[in-house]
Formats: sequence, structure tokens, C-alpha cells
Amino acid sequence: MEPSEERGAIAVEMTAIRRDFGSVTALGGVDATFRRGEIHAVLGANGAGKTTLMRILAGLDRPDDGDVRIDGSSVTTFDPGLARDLGIALVQQHFTLVPTLTAGENLVLARPLGRLRPDRRAVRERLADLVDRFGLDVRGDVGAGELSVGEQQRLELLRALDADAEVLVLDEPTAVLTDTEADQLLAVCRDLADDGRSVVIITHRLGEVFSGCDRVSVLRAGEAVMTDVPVGETTRASLATAMIGSDATGTFSDRDRTPAEVPNGAPARARLVVTGLSSGQLDGIGLEVAAGEILGVAGVDGNGQSDLEAVLCGRIAPMAGGVEIDGVPLDVGNPGSSASAGIAYIPSDRYRHGLVRAMDLSENLELGRTRRIRRPRRQRHLAAAERLDDWNVRSAGPAARAASLSGGNAQKLVLARELDHEPGVVIACYPTRGLDPSAASSVADRLIDRAASGAAVLWIGAELDELFAVSDRIVVLSRGHIAGEFVPEFDRHAVGLAMTDWRVASSSAAGASG
Amino acid sequence: MSLGVGAVEAPTGPIGRVLGRSVSSGAVAAVLVPVVAAVAALAVGAVLIGLTTGDPIGVYADVIDGIFFAPRGLSDTATTATPILLIALGYAFAYRARVFTIGAEGHYLVGMVASVGLITSGLLRDLPGPLLIVVGLLAGAAAGAAWSALSGVLFVRFGASVVISSLMLVYIAEAVLQWANRVGIRDPESFVPASRSVGAATLPIVPGLDVHLGFLIAVAIVPVMAWVFARHRLGYRVRALGDNPEALDANDVPAGRIVIAVLLVSGALAGLAGFIEIAGVNGRINDSASLGYGFTAIVVALVGRLNPVGVLVAALALGALDIGFEVAARSSDLPTSMAGLIQVLVVVFVVGGDALVERFHGTGAR
Repeated sequence: MEPSEERGAIAVEMTAIRRDFGSVTALGGVDATFRRGEIHAVLGANGAGKTTLMRILAGLDRPDDGDVRIDGSSVTTFDPGLARDLGIALVQQHFTLVPTLTAGENLVLARPLGRLRPDRRAVRERLADLVDRFGLDVRGDVGAGELSVGEQQRLELLRALDADAEVLVLDEPTAVLTDTEADQLLAVCRDLADDGRSVVIITHRLGEVFSGCDRVSVLRAGEAVMTDVPVGETTRASLATAMIGSDATGTFSDRDRTPAEVPNGAPARARLVVTGLSSGQLDGIGLEVAAGEILGVAGVDGNGQSDLEAVLCGRIAPMAGGVEIDGVPLDVGNPGSSASAGIAYIPSDRYRHGLVRAMDLSENLELGRTRRIRRPRRQRHLAAAERLDDWNVRSAGPAARAASLSGGNAQKLVLARELDHEPGVVIACYPTRGLDPSAASSVADRLIDRAASGAAVLWIGAELDELFAVSDRIVVLSRGHIAGEFVPEFDRHAVGLAMTDWRVASSSAAGASG
Repeated sequence: MSLGVGAVEAPTGPIGRVLGRSVSSGAVAAVLVPVVAAVAALAVGAVLIGLTTGDPIGVYADVIDGIFFAPRGLSDTATTATPILLIALGYAFAYRARVFTIGAEGHYLVGMVASVGLITSGLLRDLPGPLLIVVGLLAGAAAGAAWSALSGVLFVRFGASVVISSLMLVYIAEAVLQWANRVGIRDPESFVPASRSVGAATLPIVPGLDVHLGFLIAVAIVPVMAWVFARHRLGYRVRALGDNPEALDANDVPAGRIVIAVLLVSGALAGLAGFIEIAGVNGRINDSASLGYGFTAIVVALVGRLNPVGVLVAALALGALDIGFEVAARSSDLPTSMAGLIQVLVVVFVVGGDALVERFHGTGAR
């Protein structure tokens, strides 16, 4: 990259950065350049390596190989304190404020100016000073935990600026903000850049790139697909393609989709109907899944998937809207009724929501379906041993604790519990997450099998290739809305666009399906 | 508060491997640690006796004599153990679910006042004795359960800590006791603040055993609770709540419901103990009805490893220690606090033993 006038001068240059976590390559030789006076967007889908790259820059992680230069001098020690002294500040995706301390006290905690705890007035003045200087409004009289999400974000920003950051990295700053707040944040970033700082925004929203950024880099699966390209030279389409890729590389072969999968050739009836559902991020969404159908729910993580999961399994009662199973309204907010309505639930976090690790395998097979009076242990173990065998769960037997299972076998245990009794509706949340290819495809086969025998399957997934292979239909969830609905042959490009910007995509999707 | 629970859940380790795979070393440690702790506490107690009165062997001989050979040694042991056993069973139930109530003293007192108040009221006191006993048992259990459920509602509705609220409710229950003895259910013919006598509702002595009926009731609850843990859905849910409330919440029932159920059960058992203690031993309530059984029972539940049978053994051992030292103190100038001291030492050694076992497991596994 050629050095130029002061605006646009290179502040950070990262070359051939490599980082492996065990056998997983998070970054496979990535280049990145960030310039003064500019806002730089780093785009990428989940797991593309964006956060790892920025953690390395902020000294929170070290590269296995590669070179990091800040203002032209090479960094050899990766240490958060050192990075801060060099002017790098990272605002992480998950806030790191102490909820019981006030805004000012959080500033003091992050960067104490002396050995003694300063008096209240000094703390207040320090905050007021920063608020004035940068025009970021934060209340100073309540604990940080009581601040709104937007305020917390501004406080994180102030804390970074308090340390005189020259390079400000924001990890998905708009993910938790309303649209207005997001616009305000971008305006603030523009001011900071105009002061000669370099602002880096990690995001997966294309709209923000065009409304607020100067240059863009795109990562995909640990590789830089686009590096330091002026935003004017890109289009939504080229960025979406760069993020999602255009080549199918899935381990799944397409399943045969034949209408005859519906038993007896009867017309497919909707078994799962969701209407006007609002909960958390979800903003009045509607879905229908027919008998024998697999509906894929695509989307970048954190766009309402977890809220959908929580409502459908009965963990949380929604603010508005309802769920019907085979025409019968579901008693939402009651996990027991979800189970007895015939919903099989495969949770996204199987250890947290799916299994009781300290209990043995036979008892885990009962979770949610315990008889009032349970059978004697010997009988339970005999029945469980058979079921574990059927579902190919490799274990030390029914008396082994669930904690002793590997990830793939733990998932098979959940399937053995949820799918063994011909469920009417299956809610599968990232069912292949963390599994090796053979385990993943056996899990997928089991789900396809249930659909074939008449169940309605809702498959919330992250990997498009996988969803394309298994789904009869795909909806895209973005910012709590259904941003598009797609049928085979799936247009990778259109789905990618819907995932990154729901307003644009909903119009183009309407065109595609109409 | 995790003591006792940790060792029960420990995975198969070195000890288990030596003894064969069917017995996990966690289970072995669960039994071994309290036994070793008791022996160690008695040994330290012997040293202390040696330092003060001189003859530990003589004192321990008197203790054993007092428990096993004195005319009422065994029956007094059983009588003393009864309320503690009932309350500790309730704690064991709650602690399995990791619901850490410590307020059984309050449930005990409220159950006592409500049941005795009811059966000594003008309305009921002329009914036949057996009927009064049944009414008293039910009323005691119901009142204790209601008092305990208050903590549950405060937790589920407002997120208030069960530890704190249950303890605070003990102080309110003590005030209720004072009021009841002076105003609420006072015997007008008594000079000191006290309730009327339970009269016909006095628990009968079990023929051939020389203990009141309450002891049998308490012991009968042991297999019932063991059965609930092994075979009933509630026991399953209690254990699931203790191990992973979020999984229960996502698949079975809202966890808060089980928290309240658990508190109802533990409160009912303590309230039952309140009635049984008055109807079986004292005959009437007075201001010294609060003896701290609700706190002693915490120790018993933990030393008994939250296992109903273990709790039975621990409660009987504790009762025996009390009776034995009481007898021994009569024949020497042994301080009466020695029994309490040894009880506390047992707890200290159990906690220390558990910590050692955990560390031993930790290094063994790696």
C-alpha cells in the first residue's frame, strides 16, 4: 500500500496473519490495512475470523505467524496494555462494564490515574469532560447496568477514547442498537475519523458499509477475500458474494425432494403455525411448516434465532403472537406443554438446555417425559440400553453420566430422547453444530427421516450449504424480521443479500418468489 | 454450602478403581469421610478432656454406658433425634435441588404454634385423641409448608435469595411464638407464658420401644423419601433442578415451580417436627420451645450426605452424642458443652475431608 497524505496515511498494517486453534484455522494468512481519518468496515459471516483478527490487533491474542505494524513499527509483544499505549482500543461485542459501578467509576477502573480512589467530584468531572468533548451522552449517576444498551455502548466508546485511542475498533457495534441509535453511532464515528483517527467497524450489515464507511475488507473462513477496497468500487452484490461465497462446498449431498414424501399423498397440511410472534428481537414474525417439510431458517447469529428457539421450546412466553400445533394453540411459556404437544426440541446449546450432565444417560432420556411413577432402575436401564444402541450413542452404558459423552454422542442422546417417539413437530436449532462431518450427516439423516414420516421440521441453521441441502424451503431471519423466503433451486446470492440487509432483500425476495 | 453435595457427585476415581468399577469412589468417600471425621473428632475430644478433667477413657466409657446401657439411653437417643431427623430430611430434599433454605427453625415454630393452637382451641379440644393427633400432624405440616413457601414466592416473583429470606422468616417466627404464648394461644390458668396442654393429643408410647409415635413417623419418612428420589417424578425433577435448572426449564417444567415444591416439602417436614415435639415430649409450648433444631439439622443433612438413610444415621448419632455426654457429665465435672464441641468438630472434619477428597480427585483425573 502506498503511503499518501496524512488523511489516508496507514495507521495499522497487518500482513499474513495466521492463527490456529488446535486443528481449526481461524486465520490463514490474512492481510489488513487501516488508515487515518477513515472508517473501515470489516465484513464477514460468523466464524470468518473478524473477531480473532481484531483481538490480535488489540493484544488480546497472539498470531501464530505474520507481522503487525502500528504506525510503521513492528509489534513483537502482544499485550493488551501495550496495545493501549500504542493507541489501539477495542470495544468488544459483549460489554465489559462493571454493572454496579457508575459510568465515571468504570472509567476510573479501566484507567486509574493514581493509587488512591479519586473523590466523587473528580470522577464526575472526568466523565463530564469526555461527554462534552465527544458529544456522547451518558448518565453518570446510575450504575452502568441500568444504562440503556445504547448508553452502555457509548460508555464503552468513551472509555476507549479516554485512553486516547488513535485506532478505534468496534466489534459489531450496531448488533444491539436500534436503527436510530446505529445511525447516531455512525455519525459519531465520522467525527472521530475526521479528527484523524482510524475507525474500524466489524459488521455483517451491508447497509452500514454504504451509509457510513470509506473502505471495506471482507473475510471468509479465515481468508481475506477483499482487502482495503474503497466502498465506491463495490456494490451490495459484490460484497454479499464475497461474504457468502458462490461455490457450494458442503459435506451434505442434496436430499431427494419429492412431493410424495407426504404420507398417503394427502395434501400437505400445516402442522406448525406461528403468527405475529414478538419476543425479544422478534418483531411480529409468521411461519408455517407443513407435514413432511423441512423449513430452513437462515440468518446471521443474533438476529432473533435464540428468541424463536426459546418461545418454541416453551422456555419463554412471547410478548405477542401465538403458536399452533396441528391447529391446537400451544400453551406458550410452559416447556411441559411443548413436549406433550409433540414438539421435539433439539437445543442450540445441548449442554445448557438439553442435558443434565450429572445425571446418567437413562435419566437424561426421560427429561421432559418422565412418568409420574418411574420404573425401577433395572428396567429403565434395560430400555435405555436398547435405545442408546438404536441411536448409535457410543457410551459406557445407561449408567454413565451425560458429562462423559463426546459432543457428537451427546447430540445423539438428545436425538434419541426427542425423536424416538414420532414427533409431530421438530425444532432443531443448529443440530450439527460442533459435530464432525460424519456425525453431522447422521444427525441430518435422522431429521430428514422424521420429516419423511410426516413431521414438520423447523431447522435453524448457520451454514447455508447445509440448509440448501436439507431444506424444502428457506426463510431468512434478519433483525427479527423474515427478510425473505426462498424455494429450490436456492439462489445463494439472494439469500446472502437477505441475510445482510433485510430492507433491501425483502423487496428483491418478493420479486424472486413472485 | 456445596459441602456434601460435591463429594456425592464426584466421578469414579482412584478409590473406586481399587474397589471395583461398580462402586464409584465418590460414593465411597461420601460414607468414609463422615466416619473418619467422627473418629477424628472423638480423638480430638479425648485430648481436650485429657487437658481439662483428666480421664478421657473413663469419660468415653461413661458416654457409651449412657447411650447403650443406661435404662433410657436408647429411647432418649431416639426421642432427641426425632425432630432433628424430620427437619434434616426436609433440608436434604431442598439441598438436592440446590435450594438453600436455612429457615427450618421458623417452619418448626410456626408448625408447632399453628397445630397446637388448633387442637387446643375450644372448637376442637374435646374431640377424641387419635383424631386430634391426625389434625395436629396435618396442621403442623401445612403451616410449616406455608411459611416456607413464602421464601419460594419471594424468590420466584422477585428473585430474593432463599438463604436470606428463609433466615429472616425465622426471626418473625420467633416473634410469633412469643406472641402466641402470651396472647394468641395462652393457657389462661398458667402463670408463665405458655399454651394449653395438648391433653388427649399426646402421642402414645410405642409398645415395646419406649419411644413416642413421632419417632416411628420420622423413621417411616426415610424410605418414602428414598423412594421419591428413585422412583417418583418429583424426585427426578428435584435432582434435575439441582444439576441443571436451565435444562429443566427448557424441557420439562418451569424451574420456579419445583423450587416452590421443594420448599413446601421441607417446610412441611419441619412443621411436622414442631407438632410432634410438643405432642410427644413437652405437652405444651413455652418460651423455650426454640432450641435451634432447625440449625442443627443443617449439619445433620450435610453430614448425612443429603441421602435419607445417611440423614437417619447422622441424626441418631447426633442424638446419641447428646444423651451420652449428658449422662457422662452427671458423673464427672465434664463441661456440658463437650457434646456440642465434638459435633462442631465432626462438621469441621467433614468439610476438610471433602476438600481433601476433591483435591485428590482433581489430581487423580489429570
